[in-house]
Amino acid sequence: MTRKRRRLYILLLCALGLGSATALTLTAFQDNLVFFRSPSDIAAQPPPADRAFRLGGLVETGSVERAMGADGRPTARFRVTDGAHTITVAYTGVLPDLFREGQGVVTLGRLGPDGVFRASEVLARHDETYMPPEVADALKRAGHWNPSQGAAPPAAGWNTLDPAAAPRQPAGSRGS
Amino acid sequence: MDAIPPITAGADTRAPRPPRSLHRFANPGRFLRASGRVLPWLTAAAIAVLAVGLAWALALSPPDWQQGETVRIMYVHVPMAWLAMGGYLGLALASATALVWRHPLADLFARELSPVGAVVTALCLATGSLWGKPMWGTWWVWDARLTSVLVLFFLWLGHAALTRAFDEPDRGARAGAILALIGVVNLPIVKFSVDWWNTLHQPASVTRLGAPAMHVDMLYPLLVCALGFTLAFAAVVLARTRAAVMERRIRALELARARREDGGATP
Amino acid sequence: MTQHWAHVAVSYALAALAFGGLGLGAWMRHRAARRRLAVLDPRASAARDGSGGDGTA
Repeated sequence: MTRKRRRLYILLLCALGLGSATALTLTAFQDNLVFFRSPSDIAAQPPPADRAFRLGGLVETGSVERAMGADGRPTARFRVTDGAHTITVAYTGVLPDLFREGQGVVTLGRLGPDGVFRASEVLARHDETYMPPEVADALKRAGHWNPSQGAAPPAAGWNTLDPAAAPRQPAGSRGS
Repeated sequence: MDAIPPITAGADTRAPRPPRSLHRFANPGRFLRASGRVLPWLTAAAIAVLAVGLAWALALSPPDWQQGETVRIMYVHVPMAWLAMGGYLGLALASATALVWRHPLADLFARELSPVGAVVTALCLATGSLWGKPMWGTWWVWDARLTSVLVLFFLWLGHAALTRAFDEPDRGARAGAILALIGVVNLPIVKFSVDWWNTLHQPASVTRLGAPAMHVDMLYPLLVCALGFTLAFAAVVLARTRAAVMERRIRALELARARREDGGATP
Repeated sequence: MTQHWAHVAVSYALAALAFGGLGLGAWMRHRAARRRLAVLDPRASAARDGSGGDGTA
């Protein structure tokens, strides 16, 4: 065995050891790497009372109620769902731009004894789709997609759609 | 690994002209000649492609249906993220080449690469933050994607510092190469963090199975910008490596001259 | 929806500054090294440039 080859084998062996050690560590710490928990996670394993955690899921369609609080700050109540379970969230403050029904959110707060999650922070999750407004409008008009109901249809169906062929509707007649 | 021909294996002494081996460009003069021919073209191509890509991204591409004009940050952020990871892969390859084959240029290349990689990763983090504040509602969260990219930034910085921390350049290069190779475990973590764990950061739009979840009117300018930034990155690293090779030669010449003058003074 | 042009502008400006700085730094270092080398080793540097020198030496 030549010296170069030996160095190569030592290197590969080190890489193998390091890789498996990392994989084991990551598997062991899987739970701690979770940024947020879903309503189903909470239902399966209720968190200790008065402990702050992050709740994530989709904003349920038709559940958003916005109001103005007594102190002049906007308040919002909405339900976060993952399909199987739902948790009501109460929040006082300005919601991020991307917040809407059907959108993913991650909220930080505490679960009250009444089952309402009192959030001190609401972050909007963005899905991985990017499309011009004209294309989104065309999909909505054709009935392929209602953004407040769920994710966009498979990308192959719209990512080469010509926006010029689907001109934007006048603002008044645009749906949802 | 057919890159180790049996003729040169076993000895670290360089053959004068080893045909078709990794050591083809080990000769600094040959490297400077070849890279000197490439560099002007690389620079010109980078400027031209970036001019087209950035104009397309800033002015001609459409807004996003829910992000509006803010989506234009993507055309900087995503190429920086790709470069931060792809560049690190290059650093790891150079480090393996330096450790296993003792290629003399690989050390210099790695040393000149890491500050540029650190800048690019810092740009990725900064533009991501600028994008996250209006869209997500926060500058920063400690989710798996953002945290692993921060680790990548520290790896770049650590490599840049470590290779310069020793009086003997060879020892610094060795330590840096080992650090760079250990850091490779972070690359799959960065890439797949959005799939393995739930994160605030969204999953990949372009590099995924199936069609890219991005309309072509945004995808094409993104790819042009990514190509432009990659060419610019390559041009900068090549120029720095050329400068480093020349600086090494300058040091050797100055040392030889000083020794000659010493010898002349006290024969 | 506000368009957050400030965030977009700062992002592009940061990228331009960073790449401009890196490029300028590399170019100046490269030029200084080539000039110094031309002084120390006039015969070799002409051949080494590939382009045969650009008149800076």
